[in-house]
Amino acid sequence: MADKESTVYVVDLGESMADCHNGRVESDLDFGMRYVWDKISDTVATSRKTWTIGFVGFNTDETENELADKDKLEGYDNISVLQPIGPMSMTELRELRSKVQPSRSYGADPVSAAVVALKMLEKYNPKHKIKRRVILVTNGESNIDDEELDHIAAVFNEFKVELIVIGIDFDDADYGFKEEDKSTNKKNNEKALQQLVEKCNDGVFGTMQQAVDELSIPRIKPVRPFKAYDGPLTLGDPDKYPSAISFHVERYYKTKRASAPSASTVVVSNNNGFSQSQTYKDEDGDSEMGGAEFSGVKQMRTYKVNDPDAPGGKRDVDFEELAKGYQYGRTVVPFGESDLSITKYSTKKSFTIIGFVPFDSYNPFINMGETGLIVPQKMNEEAELGLSAFIHALYEADSYAVARYVQKDEAAVQILLLKPNTGLEDEFECLYDVPLPFAEDIRSYQFPPLDKVLTVSGRVLKEHRLLPNDDLKDAVSDFVDAMDLSKYDVDEDGKPVDYAPVDEVYNPIIHRMNQAIRARAVDPDLPIGQPAEILLRYSKPPKKLLEKAKHEIGNLIDAAELKKVPEKAKGRFGKKDAVKPLSGLDIDSLLGGQPKRAAISSENAIPEFKQMLAAAEDDETIEKAVKQMGEIVRKLIKDSFADVFYSRAAENLGVMREELLGFEMPMLYNKLLRALKKSLLSGELDGDRREMWYKHIVGGGLGLITKEELDVSDVTEEEAKAVSTWFFHSE
Amino acid sequence: MAWGDDEERRYGGEEEEDELDENDYKTQKDAVLFAIDVSASMLQPPPSSDDKKSDKDSAVVAALKCAHQFMQQRIIAQPKDMMGILLFGTEKSKFRDDTGSRSGSGYPHCYLFTELDVPGAEDVKKLRDLVEEGEDADEVLVPSKEPVLMSNVLFCANQIFTTNAANFGSRRLFIITDNENPHGNDKQAKSSAAVRAKDLYDLGVTIELFPVSRAKKPFDLSKFYDDIVYRSSVEEGDNPEGVKTSRSGDGLTLLNSLISNINSKQTPKRSYFSRMPFELAPGLTITVKGYMPLHQQKPARTCYVWLGGEQAQLAQSETTKVDSEARTVEKSEIKKAYKFGGEYIYFTPEEAKSLKELDTKVLRIIGFKPLANIPMWASVKKSTFIFPSEDGYVGSTRVFSALWQKLLTSKKVGIAWYVARKNANPVMVAVIPSGSLNDEDEDSTAPYLPAGLWLYPLPFADDIRSVEIKTSTKPADELTDKMREIIQNLQLPKATYNPLKYPNPALQWHYKILQAMALEEDVPDALDDLTVPKYRQIDKRVGAYMAEWKQELADKAKEFMQLRATKRELEEDDAEERPRLAKRPKTAAGSASSGGQMSNAELKAAWENDTLKKLTVAVLKDILTSKGISTTGKKVDLLERLEQWIEEHA
Repeated sequence: MADKESTVYVVDLGESMADCHNGRVESDLDFGMRYVWDKISDTVATSRKTWTIGFVGFNTDETENELADKDKLEGYDNISVLQPIGPMSMTELRELRSKVQPSRSYGADPVSAAVVALKMLEKYNPKHKIKRRVILVTNGESNIDDEELDHIAAVFNEFKVELIVIGIDFDDADYGFKEEDKSTNKKNNEKALQQLVEKCNDGVFGTMQQAVDELSIPRIKPVRPFKAYDGPLTLGDPDKYPSAISFHVERYYKTKRASAPSASTVVVSNNNGFSQSQTYKDEDGDSEMGGAEFSGVKQMRTYKVNDPDAPGGKRDVDFEELAKGYQYGRTVVPFGESDLSITKYSTKKSFTIIGFVPFDSYNPFINMGETGLIVPQKMNEEAELGLSAFIHALYEADSYAVARYVQKDEAAVQILLLKPNTGLEDEFECLYDVPLPFAEDIRSYQFPPLDKVLTVSGRVLKEHRLLPNDDLKDAVSDFVDAMDLSKYDVDEDGKPVDYAPVDEVYNPIIHRMNQAIRARAVDPDLPIGQPAEILLRYSKPPKKLLEKAKHEIGNLIDAAELKKVPEKAKGRFGKKDAVKPLSGLDIDSLLGGQPKRAAISSENAIPEFKQMLAAAEDDETIEKAVKQMGEIVRKLIKDSFADVFYSRAAENLGVMREELLGFEMPMLYNKLLRALKKSLLSGELDGDRREMWYKHIVGGGLGLITKEELDVSDVTEEEAKAVSTWFFHSE
Repeated sequence: MAWGDDEERRYGGEEEEDELDENDYKTQKDAVLFAIDVSASMLQPPPSSDDKKSDKDSAVVAALKCAHQFMQQRIIAQPKDMMGILLFGTEKSKFRDDTGSRSGSGYPHCYLFTELDVPGAEDVKKLRDLVEEGEDADEVLVPSKEPVLMSNVLFCANQIFTTNAANFGSRRLFIITDNENPHGNDKQAKSSAAVRAKDLYDLGVTIELFPVSRAKKPFDLSKFYDDIVYRSSVEEGDNPEGVKTSRSGDGLTLLNSLISNINSKQTPKRSYFSRMPFELAPGLTITVKGYMPLHQQKPARTCYVWLGGEQAQLAQSETTKVDSEARTVEKSEIKKAYKFGGEYIYFTPEEAKSLKELDTKVLRIIGFKPLANIPMWASVKKSTFIFPSEDGYVGSTRVFSALWQKLLTSKKVGIAWYVARKNANPVMVAVIPSGSLNDEDEDSTAPYLPAGLWLYPLPFADDIRSVEIKTSTKPADELTDKMREIIQNLQLPKATYNPLKYPNPALQWHYKILQAMALEEDVPDALDDLTVPKYRQIDKRVGAYMAEWKQELADKAKEFMQLRATKRELEEDDAEERPRLAKRPKTAAGSASSGGQMSNAELKAAWENDTLKKLTVAVLKDILTSKGISTTGKKVDLLERLEQWIEEHA
């Protein structure tokens, strides 16, 4: 099976590998190992037992290989098996890392080292049934005995082992790399290795620069096609009507959202010697790293019910006392475990066409998700011919089919739109399908029209500051045409190609995370690097295109006349426009006609507070209003049985916060909140009011107003955070 | 204590994506109070008529029916949102009996029929009994002799919202009345009402007026309601068409007219994001708001119920995080790490943040393409609707409008890099326009969705599955032609898929059963599933075509089968001469073809000649696998399954 594979890395560890060449600041070994570690960590990431790895170093100070030790063969000195073939986990990776160091030796034959690798592969899996390869990395300073090359290539071929040679600073005309002033010695060695690769049936010869450059190109995990449905696609009901048509089809996924690696929640079980840049074992919490370790975190649930007699109005209940149920509005309907299924709509596996719609009646934005692909059953002539005719007929009739789809018995009903693909582009015929929404999935939101303005009196305006004039329309039109991506890029033959086609844009987060995790696994001490260029390539318009469209962009900026809204537009007293009903009646003057409100009533607190502030002409009035509101909030909390008045108290606080922000008087709010916290802590508001603080004030974003939020505040972010934190020792 | 798990706030993770307006301290819940005018004219039954389409209901009954439907929809679609019904102008008065600071007499002729709350089974039942059965035991629907003071009605509503829906993100009062001028020339009463309306405005309650008009006479807002109703700024446009009057006529009953007007307000408009910088080009940024008009509704999950008390009660759960020794873990101790090669790989919070933060919140155009360049299979996720707002850049709306018009006329889309909010994963989107430039035909493609721009998520290379399937059939032209006629005769009504006509049967069934159980009624045994095709109609319209087509297909398939068989034989003859392939396992049935490659015709022949059992288990398994049938069990089982398949398919 192609799913199993063994790879042996053969790496030059000679003394010359410790040197830096060609202007690099890292040694040849570090440079080459960037490629090797990346490959190895890729394998570790999969955690697959059937992907095995071995590692042979040559030009090592020691000699440790069977051919020299056991078989006593000559020419195998200074070659060491640093890791026998086997599955690779973090433990092996770490061990290997400590062994891969440049030596003080030289003179081992790289080809002999490859033969050691070949022997290891043959011994590990003599049956040839798995994919096997040797990857050789060297800077070409070690001399090669080129008399045996034919023979060795023959063994590679016989054992069906792939040979990949990647040389540091090897010349590669195709990639455009050439090392100047190359020593004759290196030239010869390079040539010998190239000859060897050419004699192999399965061989690759390349230069390290290219291999390292290509590391940043994301590798996509191949996923085997998954057959979601295998059964009839019908038109009409074959059980009731003899006229009904039925094709046997198979449905696969065409798109499926890939997700970024997700983090697990862990705790450091033990704080001794914990250093943030190390990795730790997780096997039952045992650690090999001395002292510190991560362990997984579990969720524990407790259940509470309302009980007027219990302190705080709630009490814990045992899980065993609970039944399962559903909520119908606020009514809970208990069900026995066996009854739960009766609310499930029972369905039978089926795929049947509801009707047809023309191409132009459909817009892609009503798609609800991932695409499927439908083909006829294999070796079924009726299905093949029938579906093919169906696909072509849809295409000719400019129509899509709408179908009801039930993947298997008892699965949910889906509505799919079937689109004909006659194979003009991708050389095979199929139907593509996308899910459509149900009635319940649509929320009818109302928006004003974009091409006209309706006045309050019902008049229709075609000219308005919210509508574009002809200049702006023209400028936008020219801009859109100038920024066309479909023709701006050309291929090798000078033909226009689509820029940023779907299959060339990689998910930046997935690959950013994967690259960072692999890098950290290989070297925990390294800081995380910058995201690869390829991942951010499509985050901005291509420079060349912007250059080309410079004129149109300039024109559009002029025609648009955009003005940035200043950060704080609100002022203090009286600057706000009074809000008026449709009639424009000045309600405040109606209010003004009444005797001034002396006190804010608890039951109508928010409107009265707002109106008092709107009419305020001095700071004193505002202070007075805030003070009254503060009292109302405290009383609400004090009178609250359990949490019944908490939301109300929070709403009052929120309104105060918002208004005082507008009046740029954060000190008033901050003072009030600090006092409130003190009262909550001291218990003077009758009992345990922690929930009010955490859930409603901190959780509701009603903390102190900070300097960041409003310049005139004297509260720093840290201070606000400190005030938000409850002091647990006070319990 | 797990204060972090605040159920009240509808925060969404990456997967849940519930709406959330940043910096909004209010809980994202909606409360709607229906205020229905119970006057003699509202109670007057419609003139009797033989026409089936004519009105059957008085305006009050129509309004209550509407509320009933609204309530049921709310339970399904917005299970956390509240609703209440206040009748006004009634002879009887009723407010809260036990709670609240005022006694019932505080609001004369106001009758709180359904307390503002998340609706329960008893509320549904009480309302249904009133409207369906006409059971009005309490004689609620009796108009008062003296007029009700609108200021009282509004303040009553104020108190209901203040206490029951404190801190809700959305609070709306729906007033349904046919009385355009409740206070005549009584200036004092009018201005008290206006003051109370302003109170409601300051409280954050929106008043939505649903005027009812029997005659063709328009409902004159200027008489009274212009002082009551506020309109948000033009940009917000919650009431693009102004107040809509419900009336019967034009083939629509008063009930349907009212339902359609009220349904358009079912969900409060919640934005998914606001103040999104939309960068058209460097130096050219406008602001937009985002909305989710499409959202897949699923039946609610199960909950835990405590049965120890008099009434079944929902058990509220709290989660605590514990380590391997069941010790409660403090929030500050929790770290995030990635599993890798059997261990945890750890990043500091700062590192983790910088890894996720590839860009700030932004929607940035990188260029434009013809809509046709988006592959038809490029779909992964529902789209987000965007609409301009002037709160970041004055002039955003006109630029947005110009862009929308240009994209519509040129059939182009923008390609953009999109980060929905801080720390959200960046995605590539196509910016697609909806709506129509022509006033005459309201957008034919999706009239149920607003006109504007959509962010249509494009798949990444990582999201594409490679399915390598070879199909080599050449279509038969006659078959294609005939099929085309069938297709053209089976168009959906109005030649479009209108989702509103297709309720999700799973949801409908779940809540139907649940409702019956909650009300202790008989459980229905069937559902009118509107997603099931109209089989009879299909047979009637194109049955003859289909029969003909099937015959032709059978003939063509036979020819094709023979062609294939001949070709294979030729290949096999060829093959036998080549020694390299001589090792191929011969099947016991004598046929040289290996199992998976046997055509249906060959299988059928083998079945008829009773030679199937001569096939080896390996070959049988091969065949079964190729048909997608289970390959477990003994040879007899395999044979039985294969025979059954041949019987059904070949």
